[in-house]
Amino acid sequence: MRTHIGDFFELLQRYQAQTGVRIPMLQPLETPAHTPNSALEVHGTTVIALKFKGGVLNVGDRRATAANAVMYDRADKIVPLDDYTLIAIAGAYGRAMEVVRYLRHAFKYYARSQLQPMSLDGKLQEVSRVLSANLPNALGGIGLFVPILSVYDPDQDRGRIFFFDISGARFETPEYGAAGSGAERIRGVFDYITKTKGAFSERPLEEVLREAILLLDIAADLDAATGGIDKVLPTARYATREGVFEVPEETIRAIVQSIRTGGNA
Amino acid sequence: MLTPYDFQENLQQRAQYIRNRLRAGSPVIGISYDNGIMLLSFKRRGRKVFEIYDRLMFSAIGNQADVENLRLAAIDFSHQEGFVRSPDDVTIQRVVGFALSPALKKAFGDPLTAPFVVRALFAELHDTPEHDLFYTLNYDGEFLPYERFAVIGGTANAEEQATRYLEANLSGVPTFESSVPVALTAWGIAYEAAQLEEADGVSEEAGRRRLRELLAEGQLEVGILERHTLRENRFRLVPHEQIEPFLQRL
Repeated sequence: MRTHIGDFFELLQRYQAQTGVRIPMLQPLETPAHTPNSALEVHGTTVIALKFKGGVLNVGDRRATAANAVMYDRADKIVPLDDYTLIAIAGAYGRAMEVVRYLRHAFKYYARSQLQPMSLDGKLQEVSRVLSANLPNALGGIGLFVPILSVYDPDQDRGRIFFFDISGARFETPEYGAAGSGAERIRGVFDYITKTKGAFSERPLEEVLREAILLLDIAADLDAATGGIDKVLPTARYATREGVFEVPEETIRAIVQSIRTGGNA
Repeated sequence: MLTPYDFQENLQQRAQYIRNRLRAGSPVIGISYDNGIMLLSFKRRGRKVFEIYDRLMFSAIGNQADVENLRLAAIDFSHQEGFVRSPDDVTIQRVVGFALSPALKKAFGDPLTAPFVVRALFAELHDTPEHDLFYTLNYDGEFLPYERFAVIGGTANAEEQATRYLEANLSGVPTFESSVPVALTAWGIAYEAAQLEEADGVSEEAGRRRLRELLAEGQLEVGILERHTLRENRFRLVPHEQIEPFLQRL
């Protein structure tokens, strides 16, 4: 008799063994023996995670690049995994989306089959597991990506932000997190804001949203691989006690317009 | 004395055994309304309405282990398919018709395995109420699609009576508020009809009275899939406070 433990990885492995249908997710991509061409990487981006009072906000640009070509202008890099969890991705878009799809199913599969949500620690462990499974790809130069996981923690009634390295190690950050080539350029600004205006986690969503979009605008100015906020509006999603929500386009458009016409353009 | 094995007799005995056990089960009423789709039932203990996939939920009467097995098989299939192909390919007719029904039929017909003691109701949410779907799935693998509303109950007669009541009292596309009272009465009729053997024409009042009496021993469970929501999960159990006012007016 099979004990049902709600492990999606196990379910897929069994499916693969039974049907012989190969699931790309479960094996390393076949990397060429020679040094891979870095142009294959879809890499540059800026995703920002900021806490606010009562939750956590994620904002990301929409550009996907390969070397210095803009491949796609409408990539969505902020994806809800369940009603408490957001993932923001920087790195190889294709591989990352596959992992996101996997995680969405893994969390829901556990919750639906076991009739209780996966614990926060369990979710973080699951992210670590897929990242370490992806390590051969990352080292081979295909499929390197690093996520930021933002969660609303109902036990502690606050937002929490975790980032990972490519081997799956996880780190919690107190106030903000950012990833991607553009994030590097603006790292110091986060500190400046918290030191002059107070902790993000104590400020209301509207204020923090404005800060995030402004930060994205600055990142786009400094990093060619980060799409701006004008041509295509950035994506913004947030997690609170009530669930995960998308900030409506009109709200973002209004903020962008006020940044362009107001004092801090 | 040993009698030769009679396939037909064996099946009849099995069916009789299962029907006797299903009779006491708590019926489930499914109604598709403007903003979603609901499954309503009464439970003494434990859960009764379950989420299967993004737009799929289910409830059943029968042996708890069998209900659980069916539920997990549906969840396994849905998530496998949803990941390997697409969530759009996880449809009620694939899950019920191809993933579950043959296994039930096999267990029912095989004299060496215990048959599933189960009768299940699946509900699938679509973008418009006209496209919402219900499927009933029987212990012998038989399944039937329904639109607008559906009932499973302890006996076929109970289901018929509740269906007749729903048919007469639901017009057009109802709202959540107008559906719940109808569903409550339909539940009472279905339950009462299953308890009183072959009783015909259980009155609305008798159904409501039965439900009122039972409320001391347990509570209602209403699972919904929301048509328009910003939440990631469309499924939720309606909180008891929201059901309470309807019970007051019962």
